[in-house]
Amino acid sequence: MVKVDGYEVPEGLFYSKEWFWVKVEGDKARLGITDYAQKQLREIVFVELPGVGGSVKANEPFGSVESVKAVSDLVSPLTGTIDQTNPDVTSKPELLNEDPFNKGWLLVITPSNLNAELAALMDFNKSVEWHKSMITKG
Amino acid sequence: MPRRIIIIGAHAAAVDAASAARKTDRTAEIILLTTEKYAGYSRCGIPFVIGGHIPRFTDLIVYPAAYYQMMKLDLRRETTATNVDTKAKTVETTDKAGKTGTLPYDSLIFATGASTWTPPIKGKEKLGTFSVRTIEDGERIDEAIKAGAKTAVVMGGSLIGLEMAVGLTERGLKTTVVEMLPQLLPVMLDADMAKGVQEMLEAKGIRILVGKGVEEFIGSDKVTEVVAAGEHLAADIFISAFGVRPNTELAAKAGITLGDTRAIRTNLRMETNVPGVYAIGDCAESTHMVTQRPALQQLGTVAVKHGKVAGTNAAGGYALFPGVLGSAVTKFFDLEVGSTGITESFAKRSGIEIVTGTISGKTRAQYFPGAQPIKVKVIVEKEMERVIGAQIVGNEDVTQRINAISLAIQKQMTVRELSKSDTCYAPPLCETWELMALAAEAAVMRLR
Repeated sequence: MVKVDGYEVPEGLFYSKEWFWVKVEGDKARLGITDYAQKQLREIVFVELPGVGGSVKANEPFGSVESVKAVSDLVSPLTGTIDQTNPDVTSKPELLNEDPFNKGWLLVITPSNLNAELAALMDFNKSVEWHKSMITKG
Repeated sequence: MPRRIIIIGAHAAAVDAASAARKTDRTAEIILLTTEKYAGYSRCGIPFVIGGHIPRFTDLIVYPAAYYQMMKLDLRRETTATNVDTKAKTVETTDKAGKTGTLPYDSLIFATGASTWTPPIKGKEKLGTFSVRTIEDGERIDEAIKAGAKTAVVMGGSLIGLEMAVGLTERGLKTTVVEMLPQLLPVMLDADMAKGVQEMLEAKGIRILVGKGVEEFIGSDKVTEVVAAGEHLAADIFISAFGVRPNTELAAKAGITLGDTRAIRTNLRMETNVPGVYAIGDCAESTHMVTQRPALQQLGTVAVKHGKVAGTNAAGGYALFPGVLGSAVTKFFDLEVGSTGITESFAKRSGIEIVTGTISGKTRAQYFPGAQPIKVKVIVEKEMERVIGAQIVGNEDVTQRINAISLAIQKQMTVRELSKSDTCYAPPLCETWELMALAAEAAVMRLR
């Protein structure tokens, strides 16, 4: 894990430019929002997620997160069907702030086009560069 | 068709309006127009960059590009709104390249801010005079210091003027402040409280001339001296912090009504006389909670609250703005200065009869090492016995006392209630008797 100007970027994950991380777990993928995203939103008070069995599509919103001041769509980095949603984050949305890469995960999906879509995401090194560029851009 | 909300402006008031609008309407198209290169930054931080407390001007940018992307806000930089047609509901724009466009809107928010204003003084057109409004203004002053400026004259002894004078002094410039009125901070403080501030600034090496005006700028093409009260003052840098005027030309041209303060008149929802058109921040008038009269309070804290209310309403929601008290705080070197409600001198000018209570004390138990001096003044309306104002000057713990008294004023607390308020105590943090309560008690004694 490295920190870019205070924002955590763990290794071994893929990243989208819509502030999602993807962890490949066998033939499944676990998704959540990045530390950068949660810090921009600040104290998250509401998380809206779809139900298990539903589907998500790459680059399309599937839910939203709302903080005291901001609201943002959750834009899926991958296409697939939803196997699990994190039951804890709806009752304790602060988990997204406290532990965005672990306890604050959002969905586990069965991706339908994993290899092709992963290629469109950023790996650790690219993500670090991207985080740096966002910070210098201001 | 999604609702389209256009916000003219992209700073404190505007970005908060955009955020509130997005929270209210998830599908609306929200466009922010700013003439500036930088958006969403804190103007209030500029003197503290000059003073070296904040490393870079770009650190003042509160909202990074990612924020607009996450919130789906369409920020258009270096784009000027040139005309508004409230009948056709359109805004005409010109971008940096000179390209013009016409944007239809469903709701429109004026967040056009204010501009610094320098009175017509002989030699005003010379180089080397600066105002303090934008990051570019700050950068120009910083460059002049780096280029070797040794002396500065600041015209205006209010918040920005004094914050700049402190910043310039911290950078090693020999600085003089020229204030037209007979005291510093005439909006925030009464003369008795301002006296202590002036003495501290003078002790730090700032020359203060009150009751004096700037008469002339001297120098061939660039200002080198300023004449004030007949005296020639060396001025490699001249800062005009005389005041700011609300930018209302665009609104006035569109038939939007201006108020008594010459800012855009608004109702409780921050809406102008034209339905669906709102005004917020430094260009917008609102109501003073004590006087119940129109007031123009050009403060960041007012701007963001205006923005939240107007953004919610512009997006089809419902929100009211309760009014302003003018609560303000700042820090000059180690001295914190705060004010809320109305001053004794303002009350007198408005025909409000008052009594005051002032108490000097310490910020910790007087025996506790490091205890700092602090002075609290409360202003009380005589007939209803309500607290209507307070001023606090001290080396720490000013801010939250100002906020507490602001709440007391909003809740129309009587001075007797304030004098009996339940407060906390521990030797490293405060005295046993809370100074706000003691100041209130001093005022109660004068009501007898």
